[in-house]
Amino acid sequence: MGTSKARPAAKAQKTSPDLPSRNLPEKTFVLDNGAYTMKAGYAADPSLSPEDVQSACSSIPNTLVKTRDNRIVIGAQLSTQVTDWNEAAFRRPVEKGYIVNWEAEREIWEQSFFEEKATARNKNLRIAAPEDTTLILTEAPNAMPILQRNADEMVMEEWGFGGYARCLGPTLNAWNDLHTLFGDSFAKSDTTIMPMDCLLVVDSGYSHTTVTPVYKGRALQRAIRRLDIGGKHLTNYLKEIVSMRQYNMVDEAYIMNEVKEAVSFVSNNFKADMERTCKANIKRQTENSVVVDYILPDPNAGKKGFMRPHDPLMHAKKKKGASSGLSAELLSEDVLVLGNERFTVPELLFNPGDIGMIQAGIPDMILQSLSVLPPALHAAFLANVLVVGGNASIPGFMERLETELRPIASADCVVRVRRAEDPIYSTWLGGSRLANNRDELSKVAITRQEYQEYGSGWAGRRFAGTI
Amino acid sequence: MFRVELLQHKGAAPAPGWSYVADRAFNPAQAAMAPTLSRKRGIRDAGKGGDMSSRRANAIIRHLAELDRENQRDVSIPVPVKQAKEAGARGTRAKTTSNVRRILQSQKTFRNHLDDEEAAIHNSSTAGGAGTGAGQNLGATAAMAKGSKAAVAAAAARRSSTPIVAGSAAAGSAAAKRKRASAVGTAASTPTPAPSIPETPATTATDVEGENDSEGKNKILKTEYDNDPLLRSYAPTMPSDRIIQRLLAEPPLSYNASRVGAPISSHSPRHFCCMCGYWGKIRCKSCHLRTCGLDCYKVHEDSRCGAFF
Repeated sequence: MGTSKARPAAKAQKTSPDLPSRNLPEKTFVLDNGAYTMKAGYAADPSLSPEDVQSACSSIPNTLVKTRDNRIVIGAQLSTQVTDWNEAAFRRPVEKGYIVNWEAEREIWEQSFFEEKATARNKNLRIAAPEDTTLILTEAPNAMPILQRNADEMVMEEWGFGGYARCLGPTLNAWNDLHTLFGDSFAKSDTTIMPMDCLLVVDSGYSHTTVTPVYKGRALQRAIRRLDIGGKHLTNYLKEIVSMRQYNMVDEAYIMNEVKEAVSFVSNNFKADMERTCKANIKRQTENSVVVDYILPDPNAGKKGFMRPHDPLMHAKKKKGASSGLSAELLSEDVLVLGNERFTVPELLFNPGDIGMIQAGIPDMILQSLSVLPPALHAAFLANVLVVGGNASIPGFMERLETELRPIASADCVVRVRRAEDPIYSTWLGGSRLANNRDELSKVAITRQEYQEYGSGWAGRRFAGTI
Repeated sequence: MFRVELLQHKGAAPAPGWSYVADRAFNPAQAAMAPTLSRKRGIRDAGKGGDMSSRRANAIIRHLAELDRENQRDVSIPVPVKQAKEAGARGTRAKTTSNVRRILQSQKTFRNHLDDEEAAIHNSSTAGGAGTGAGQNLGATAAMAKGSKAAVAAAAARRSSTPIVAGSAAAGSAAAKRKRASAVGTAASTPTPAPSIPETPATTATDVEGENDSEGKNKILKTEYDNDPLLRSYAPTMPSDRIIQRLLAEPPLSYNASRVGAPISSHSPRHFCCMCGYWGKIRCKSCHLRTCGLDCYKVHEDSRCGAFF
């Protein structure tokens, strides 16, 4: 159905070559192509309520999965087709935050956005006619030129989008309406959508954590810094620790990721928390303890994993078996006991030195980033620090960042650190707002005709801002 | 260890996909396979601990490479083969171009691309006669750290020079103050005469805000301490539009150059028990891993301790 619709549209495009070259297609598809999930959807009208705008965006796992029974499942189908996540193996086309493997990425995009059958359910993900669509694609900062070029060529030559803009992901956040978030009192002008003047975006995602100072919607390239620790490293670290101390979980990346999301928190008093989980103290305190049990999922019984307070006597009871009066259900469950693992794992974001990495933690990274900028800008950026990305959702992250950033920042500066209302979708939402400012969009986007005329080298220079 | 010297390539562009880089850096991918020390020396020094620092560095790098993995084992997950009918569904689009075919068939990983880029940077830097060893992994980070330190120093120097400029500009005259207030424009914290007065948060201000700001400051600044050089706080002047434009137009840094440097404030490294995660107070005499106490140490000694990392 969709293809038959698309055909006349393509013809119409061809038969009217006298279109003005700067005519971007009306519809804009925003794709925040993260390493873990893609956040995608058509740009929504900003006058809608935030919930409606949010509902225009869906997140799709950006991966191919091979399950235990050797089935290969692609991105969008994961939520419906996979119930047994044991020993699932992943192939992610995005490595270190950049799209590297286009063979896999093309397949995932095809299944998520282009195939009729696969996208029948969600209309807002279906790109029926790429010729009539502008694509806003995000990329991680400091991408290699060859990878950028590959992306441009794939987007424009494989799918042939009518318009295309490749933006740095963090810069899109500046387009969101952040004044209320930062508590700035002055009235905002509702007439046009403009980016924040100065915004320091801390993006802590799956592959890495970056700091990007954004000035009026554009990144200050020299100050972008990257810490090579992201959600993936935290999951792997937790996996490694648990495998060493309790069960062998080395093949259970997905399950350990769920464990991490359920139990981890950033400690605001590392030493004290460490003492609380000390072996000698565990038995004494049951109230208010850090230690929790995580019940591993049981795919055969169709049960999901969950967390509950630690029961120190459970182990002894289980040893006694049926005579202890426990139900069969309790006896059969597998439990991970998580103590200091809960906070030593996210601690890596603030102290990479804990695993011997010679890189600075996030607060230090912010200062290192600012140190190469004119001092007059420091105050403006420190007063507008926005944290996005999945790791921002770890409890305690924001408090820790603020308490660590305050003393090392200059005393003259106000330090305001805020988590985006929805740290995962924030970049997409920003892109959606950018899409509604047609003037600004046409400044950064290129059209299909331009690409066909000048080629990918020109497109790369244009997105880099040199033309 | 042999090394390959890269000679200046003057003729046409080098063949695509191939580049030689002087291999002086530590490569985590290779480290897992071949230890950097010679085999004999490794065996001889095993008991003595040998070159602990480099060995520990290798262990750390291997550990980091481990944490960076997607799957524990190497699995190949092929893209499912499409049915002919489905493949025909892309009929609306133009034929696959050569570019697309090349990109799709490329089996390069991120590491390959990174090596290519390093080689290119190395090439251009040796051609320019500037720059050193951009191809080195650790060298680059070390240089980065040095660079950032230099930048910090430069920033500090700039900061210390600012008061003179600002002071001469301000010179206590109201006109200069107004000028500064307008210069606050987009940024800058409000200069406050005494710390007891709460600072108005530096905001990304509109013009309206700027005016409010200057009015508020005129009120605040009328004190007898106004001209006291010790109490005055100096806001660095906003960089001019030209500087900002220059900054915005800068090309992005390379992947390696954008990595964050070593921490500015260097606490002594923390050690943790390799068994239970509590503080690592004692060190195993044969493998140098840490444990928290005798309980954990016994378990470690019985089951886990290998003399090598």
